[in-house]
Amino acid sequence: MPDLPWGRAPYPVLVADVHGAVVRCNDAAGLLLPAAAPGTPLTDVAPDWLCAAHTALSLPGPHAVPDTEGPLRGVIGGRCFEAHPTIRKDGSVAWWLVDDTDHQLVREALCMERGRTAFLAKASNVLLSSLNLARCMDVTAQMAAESLADAALAIAPARGQRLPVVTCLRGGAPVLSTLTVDPDDVPGLGEALRGFPPVPSRWIDPATAPAWMVPEGFGPVGSIVITPLPGHGVPAGALILLRRTENAAFRDEEEVFARLFAARAGAAMSAARLYAEQSTITDVLMRELLPPVLHHISGVDFAGRYRPSADHERIGGDFYDVHPAAVEGEASLVSLGDVCGKGLEAAVLTGKIRNTLHALLPMADDHQRMLGLLNTALLSSHHTRFATLVLASAVRRGNVVDLKLTSGGHPSPLIIRADGTVEEADTHGTLIGAIPNISSHTASASLAPGESCVLYTDGITEAKGGPMGDALFGEERLKRALSDCAGMPAEGIVEHIQMLAAQWLGNRPHDDMAVVVISAPRTHHLSAVNGHTRGRFTA
Amino acid sequence: MTTHPHLRLTTVDAQDSVRIEAHGDLDHDSAGLLLREVTDQLSARPAMTDLHLLCAALGTVDSMGLSALLMIGRRTAAAGVRLHLDDRPAKLDRLLRLTGTLDHLTAPPLTPR
Repeated sequence: MPDLPWGRAPYPVLVADVHGAVVRCNDAAGLLLPAAAPGTPLTDVAPDWLCAAHTALSLPGPHAVPDTEGPLRGVIGGRCFEAHPTIRKDGSVAWWLVDDTDHQLVREALCMERGRTAFLAKASNVLLSSLNLARCMDVTAQMAAESLADAALAIAPARGQRLPVVTCLRGGAPVLSTLTVDPDDVPGLGEALRGFPPVPSRWIDPATAPAWMVPEGFGPVGSIVITPLPGHGVPAGALILLRRTENAAFRDEEEVFARLFAARAGAAMSAARLYAEQSTITDVLMRELLPPVLHHISGVDFAGRYRPSADHERIGGDFYDVHPAAVEGEASLVSLGDVCGKGLEAAVLTGKIRNTLHALLPMADDHQRMLGLLNTALLSSHHTRFATLVLASAVRRGNVVDLKLTSGGHPSPLIIRADGTVEEADTHGTLIGAIPNISSHTASASLAPGESCVLYTDGITEAKGGPMGDALFGEERLKRALSDCAGMPAEGIVEHIQMLAAQWLGNRPHDDMAVVVISAPRTHHLSAVNGHTRGRFTA
Repeated sequence: MTTHPHLRLTTVDAQDSVRIEAHGDLDHDSAGLLLREVTDQLSARPAMTDLHLLCAALGTVDSMGLSALLMIGRRTAAAGVRLHLDDRPAKLDRLLRLTGTLDHLTAPPLTPR
């Protein structure tokens, strides 16, 4: 075809007329479509997709190529081509064929990489948003089963002899089971779970896989790969991927990708494990440090309530305890205090104080000595972290409760008399734990039936709020409120004060608030006694 | 002058005495600032005999603030420097009296150099 200027053009060009017959083609087209000779029907020469496009486009007379979305594409002889038409004056069409097989491959690879990146980003988001180990294992198994394999098992390091395993089939829900199996029976699994030294993923012969590794109803296993989940210096576990026989085995690049996923899953799982360990430690600490539930002891009513400064710091600087007398008829000891600062450091000091006071109980009748010894025990050359506290010894004599009250730098206890008068106990002293020489003065008081003594921390009086939001609750307001509590039971007074302080605060932040109330119960004469002689009472 | 959102310190020094004026709250966040300033002054001026803390413009002093004052008391005493809490507002006096620290901080025992 020497008359064609594009006869030796490197791209295949094929001209067909309105009747669907080949008019001419260049050398390159001859190589691609060997049957293409002038006069042959296009349908005998070219694949269906090109014939259909030609029929749609080839109309008699000159006309324009209608706009289409992107070029026409199809496969010829195992390679991928774009077909660009130009319409000639007589309505015949010249098809310019451009091989874009490599372009297509690159496009597919890019698309796959994008998909993987999106998958890893999603994995990170989902995994890191949870600090719950069980949820991390579920997500790991589920995401792996959706994108990497037909089924996936996320395995956490064994606890004793038991191996926690989450199994997930593609499209299914993750299922946790705890298996009593030896991971060393599976080649590579024991090493992967120990995590040190880091081991590469390994393929194992499906025939050697134990039954527990294959989910029920999975069918014959084609390939298995075990990938370690690396953690922050601790082994986080292992990921097992399974494919069915009808699906292709894992390729190298897929295995690399599985490792990238495993790195993220492992980081999340070990973070969740560390967090779980920490929260267990905090729980154990808190069980020791949370104030006790108070009640009626030896004819005296006790009630207490503690509201910590922030919900995420459930252990704070305030504390209280009630120690019943070792011998019936002796005084019970109440301690209520406030440690400077907040958070864990304050909690540790609180624990020390409570333990020391507990050990000093045999000398509970001598408040000065107790405070002196406590002070010595807490003094530290490194800091001046101190505590202020009140000790109260309470003992029932007849229907009256006798009190001894000693303040170590703490706001004085308030006594609510039967007529609504509120008295401040005449006790004062030095704070504890910062100064070598301390002194204190003890006050004595008696509570008639229905009268109460209120121990509180300054979180109550320094609660900032009120109608304008900037006023302190203050001692005067507290006294007025307590005056209305005359005759109320201990539990009711505690409830009332906490409620008033909470209302005063609104939603504003606040310090720890602790209240303990000691009450002399209202007594009733036993009906068996005639009610006139002084005798037995019930509480 | 050292600044902090809540506490501002102005230090004026003479040959043997240093005056630190504190404006603002002495609390959990700012207590460390005052303690550092005092510690720096103590180590920079071995000849110092008197440290005046001007408290007139002091706002809220919380438990961490008081803890810092106690530490300042301990360090000045150890350095043989007399600590003066000058122009104390009534609120500060009330806190020092309640916690039994007024005498300790206003007439600290001097350990001999």
